[in-house]
Amino acid sequence: MLNRRLFLSCAALLAVGSRAVPSALAQSISDKGAADFINTLGNEAINTFARKDLPRPQALTRFRDLLYQGFDVPYISRWVLGKYWNQASPEQQKQYERLFEQLIVQTYANRFIEYSGETFRITGTKPLGETDTAVSTQIVRPSGPPINVDWRVRKKDGGFKIIDVVVEGVSMGVTQRQEFASVIESNGGNINGLLKALRERVS
Amino acid sequence: MTLASLSRSLLRTAATALVLATAACATPSGDSANDPLEPVNRAIWGFNEGTDILLVRPATEVYVNAVPDPVREVVHNFLINLTMPLVIANQLLQGDAQGASDATGRFLTNTILGMGGLADVATEARIPYESEDFGQTLAVWGLGEGPYLVLPLLGPSGLRDAAGLGVDTVADPARVAAYASGAKGALWARAGATTVDTRSQYLGTIDDIRRNSVDPYASLRSLYRQRRQVEINDGKATPAEQPDFPVDPAAPKR
Repeated sequence: MLNRRLFLSCAALLAVGSRAVPSALAQSISDKGAADFINTLGNEAINTFARKDLPRPQALTRFRDLLYQGFDVPYISRWVLGKYWNQASPEQQKQYERLFEQLIVQTYANRFIEYSGETFRITGTKPLGETDTAVSTQIVRPSGPPINVDWRVRKKDGGFKIIDVVVEGVSMGVTQRQEFASVIESNGGNINGLLKALRERVS
Repeated sequence: MTLASLSRSLLRTAATALVLATAACATPSGDSANDPLEPVNRAIWGFNEGTDILLVRPATEVYVNAVPDPVREVVHNFLINLTMPLVIANQLLQGDAQGASDATGRFLTNTILGMGGLADVATEARIPYESEDFGQTLAVWGLGEGPYLVLPLLGPSGLRDAAGLGVDTVADPARVAAYASGAKGALWARAGATTVDTRSQYLGTIDDIRRNSVDPYASLRSLYRQRRQVEINDGKATPAEQPDFPVDPAAPKR
C-alpha cells in the first residue's frame, strides 16, 4: 500500500519534472507576470482602503470587486469543499457557493476596510507545477514583526488569479478544507450540516 | 506501590507510547484528521476554551492594555532568552550546526549585551531566531506526529509533541536551576508570564477563528499541524507536502 503510493508519487514527480524543463523559460516569464499581478492588486487595495472617507457600503462594494478581480472565488470554494462538491446536489452547490462568498467577505472585508498602514514587498517567486506561481510577500505592519504571506497564483484565461493564500506556512485553503470536512463528517457525511453551520455564521 | 512495580508500569507506559507513535507514523496522513481521541480532545478543548474566555484572555487584555509596548517587548525577550539553552540543545540533537551556532550566538549576545536577555540585541545584529523543541527533534529523527492531542490548559499537541514537551520540561536548565536553588516560585511566575505573553501574540488570530470558523476545533487542529510542519522544516517549504491543486477542483485525483 505504502509502496504503491510512493511509486505513484514518484512517477507523478518524474512526469511533472520532465515536462517542466522545456517550459522553464515560459515559466520565468509567467512568474514575472504573477509578481506584477500581485504588486498591482496589493497597491490597488492599499490605495482603496487608505482613504478613510469611503462610506462603508461603498467600501464593501470595492472590496467585493477587488476580491473577484484578484481571486478565483468559484475555484477556491470548490477546492475547499473537496470530494463533497461532487456529492452535493446542484441546489446544494448553489447554496454553498453563495454562503462561501458571504463567509469570505465577512471574514476579510473588515481587515481590509480597517486598513492601518500596512505595506508589503515582494520577496520572490517560485513555480509550482506547470500552471501556478507562488509569489512570496512580506507584510510590514506599523508595529510587530513582518508577516510572510505567499500567494498561489494561477494563470487563467490570459490573466492571473489567486487560488490560495499561505500565511506563515499556513494555507488558508487547507485549513478551511479540513474545517469543512470535519463539519460534514460530524453530520454523518451530510452537506446540509455544513450549509446550516455556514448560514448560522454569516447571518 | 513498590519502586520496582512503579518503574515497571512506567516502562510499560513508555513502551505503549512508542508502539502507538510508530503505528501512527506508518499511517498515511493525507486528508484524514488522524484524531482517534476526538471526543476526548473536544471535551478538553471545550474546557480550555472556557478557561481562556473566563481567565486567560481577560488577563491578557489587561496585560496588553495596561503594560506599554516596550515593556511587553522586554518581557517577551527575557522569556525567549530563558528558552535558548533548550533551543541550542535541540539544534545540536538535530545535527543543525548552523542553527546551534546561531542559537548560541543569540543566547550569549542577549545575555551579555542585552542585560540578561532583556534586550534583543541579537535580532539587531541579524542573528536569526528559530524556535526549537524536542518534539521537532523527534520529527527530524523521523518520528511521525502521531494522533492529535489536546492537552489540558496547554492546548493543541500530538503524541510526539507531547512527549517532546515532557522531555523539554524535565531537561530545561532554567527549571533545574530553580529547583536547585529552591526558587520554585520563579517557575510559576515564568509559567504565568509565558502564558500571557504567548496569548497576547494570538489575540487577533483566535478572535478571528471564534468569529468566522464553522468548526473552531477543526480549524485549530489544522493550523497547529501546518505550523508545526513549518517549524520542523525550519521555515523551508517542502514540495512533497504541498496540497494538490488540480485544474478542475471538482475532479479530485484521490
